[in-house]
Amino acid sequence: MPDIMQMGVRQIREGLAEGEFSAREVARAALDAIAERDGSVHAFLEITESQALEAADRVDAAAAQRALDELGPLAGVPVAFKDNMNQEGTHTTCSSRMLESYVSPYTATCVQRAIDAGGIPLGKLNMDEFAFGSSTETSAFGPTRNPWDLERVPGGSSGGSAAAVAAGMACVTLGSDTGGSIRQPASFCGVVGVKPTYGMVSRYGVVAFGSSLDQVGPFARSVEDAAWALQAICGHDPRDCTSQDLDIDFLSAVREGAQSIRGMRVGIVKEFLEAKGLSDEVREKIQEATGKLCDAGAEIVEVQLPHADAAISAYYVLGPCEAFSNLARFDSVRYGLADHGHKDLSGQYEASRAAGFGAEAKRRILLGSYLLSAGVYDTYYYPAQQVRTLITRDYVQAFEKCDAILAPASPRTAFKFGEISDPAQMYLSDIFTVPINIAGNGGMTVPVGLGSQTGLPVGVQIIAPQFKDANMLRVAAALEQAYGTASVAPEFAGEKAGE
Amino acid sequence: MTQHLTEDDVRGMAAYARIGLDDQELAQMTVDLNSIIDTLKPITEFDLEGVEPTFHPIGSLSNVMREDVEQPSFTQDEALANAPRQQDGSFLIPSILGEGGDR
Repeated sequence: MPDIMQMGVRQIREGLAEGEFSAREVARAALDAIAERDGSVHAFLEITESQALEAADRVDAAAAQRALDELGPLAGVPVAFKDNMNQEGTHTTCSSRMLESYVSPYTATCVQRAIDAGGIPLGKLNMDEFAFGSSTETSAFGPTRNPWDLERVPGGSSGGSAAAVAAGMACVTLGSDTGGSIRQPASFCGVVGVKPTYGMVSRYGVVAFGSSLDQVGPFARSVEDAAWALQAICGHDPRDCTSQDLDIDFLSAVREGAQSIRGMRVGIVKEFLEAKGLSDEVREKIQEATGKLCDAGAEIVEVQLPHADAAISAYYVLGPCEAFSNLARFDSVRYGLADHGHKDLSGQYEASRAAGFGAEAKRRILLGSYLLSAGVYDTYYYPAQQVRTLITRDYVQAFEKCDAILAPASPRTAFKFGEISDPAQMYLSDIFTVPINIAGNGGMTVPVGLGSQTGLPVGVQIIAPQFKDANMLRVAAALEQAYGTASVAPEFAGEKAGE
Repeated sequence: MTQHLTEDDVRGMAAYARIGLDDQELAQMTVDLNSIIDTLKPITEFDLEGVEPTFHPIGSLSNVMREDVEQPSFTQDEALANAPRQQDGSFLIPSILGEGGDR
C-alpha cells in the first residue's frame, strides 16, 4: 500500500471510496506518523486519539453506505488545529502558561466545520505564545523544529501547523494569520498556506489577538488540498458578525488553474523587489516565478504600492493595541493561571499575569498600553488608522490594473534558532505579509522550490482583491503546475516511500 | 536611540496593564520598548491632513442584530469549570473591600 501520509485529499477520498483502506487505517497511519516523527519536530501539543478514531468510524460508516460525498470535502482527511482554536474537551493553551490547564468547553466554528466535513482531528498544534512571533520560539512549551532542517525555525506564529504538514503528520492543518502567521511559516516549511480575505472564515472560538486583522486559513501540500479545506471552513457564521455570506467555488478555480491564467493580469510591485533586507535567492525566485506565469500566458503588469513602507510600523501600532485590549480578559478569576498568594485582587492580577505571560506577550501588552495612553494615542494610534486608509487605497488602485499580485512571502528562508534575538529585528520578518492584513485582502503562499544560496524552501505570496480569493488560487495552481506539488520534507518522506 | 520611555513610565504602564515586573524585567522592557517605538517613527511622518481613519478592513459592515430570544448557552457548572477558585456557584476572588480579609 502506498504511504497514506503522503496522499492528498482526493487520493484519500478515492482510496476510501474504492475500499483500498479504511478511515480507521488513515487515522492509525497518522497517529503512528506522529508517534514516530513528532519527537524530533514537536509540532503537536496534544494528540486527540479518541476523537480521531471516533471521527474515522463516522467516515467508515459513510463509506459503507457510499455516502462520502454527503459527508463533506474532508472525508477521512487527517487534520489538526492550531492551539488557539477551541475544540471541546481539548486543552487550548495558545502555547502559554496562562492557559496551560484550560480545557475548552466549546468548539470554534472553523474546527467544527473541518470535523463536520469528515476531517479526522489528530490534535492541537504548537505556536508562538498567543501568536506573538515569527518563529514559534516564544511557545512556553518549547519550539517546533523545521522538518527541512531541524536546526532551523519553522516560522511562526503557526509554526506547528506548517511543520505538521511538511513532516507528513497531517494532510491539512488550520492556522491563523494576523500579520503573516500562515504565509511566512508556509514559506519556511515549503508548503501551501492560505490567509483568506478578512471575513471569509468565522473567528468564533479562535482566541483573539488582533480582531480587525485575524483570519483563519489552511495549510496543505497542494493548492487543491487547500481548496478542499477552504470549501469546508469558509462561510457565514451568525456567531461572528464580520463573517461574510459568499459562495466561492475554490475547487473550480484550482481545476481551471493553468488554463484560466491565460490573459490574467498579474501585478509585480517594484517597492517589494527593491525592499531592504530581501535576500537575493528570494528575489531570484520571484523573478523566476514571474517568468513562469508569463510563459503560462499571464500578462505581467507593474503596479505601485507607494505606502508599502508604512505597513510594518502601522501594524506594530495596531496589532499591540488590539492585543492589549484582547488580553485584558486573562484575569486569573474566570479561567487561566492564578497566583493565590495575595490578599487583594489587584495583587492577584499582577502576580498571575506576570507568571502567566511570556516576555513577548508582556512586550506587546505594554506596547499597546503605551500606544493607547492619553497623548500618545494621537501620535501613533490614530495616525496608524489613517495610514491604514492609505495602504488600503493603494491596494484598491493596484487591483484596478491587475487581478492578483505576486510578491515575496518572507524576505529570506528559515533562520536558525536564536539567530534573531532583537524583537524589532524579528518584526521585519513580516514586512511582505502585514500590509495584506491591514488592507484585509486575501494572500497565500505557494512553494517554488529551494533557494540557490541556502537550499531551503522558498514560497512566493499571491495577493488577491478582497473576496476574490479564487484569483489567487488560480495563480497558485499555475505556479504549482510549473514547479510541481510540494512534498513531505526529505527527512520524513524516505522510509515509507515506494512501499 | 531616542528615550521615549523611562523605567518609571514603564512601571506605570505595567501597573495599568496589571502585569507585575521585577527590577531586572523592568530594565530590559524599557530598553526593548524604546527600541520598538523607534521603529514606529514612520507613522508620525506622513501628511495625513484630511485622511479618514480605517478602523476595520471591511468598509461595508454595519451592525448585525438578531431577535432577543434565549439561545443555548453554558450551564453554571460549565461556566465555572475552568475557574481557579469557586464557591457556591460563583467565581471566588480575594476581598475587594477593606483590609484584605481573604476568605
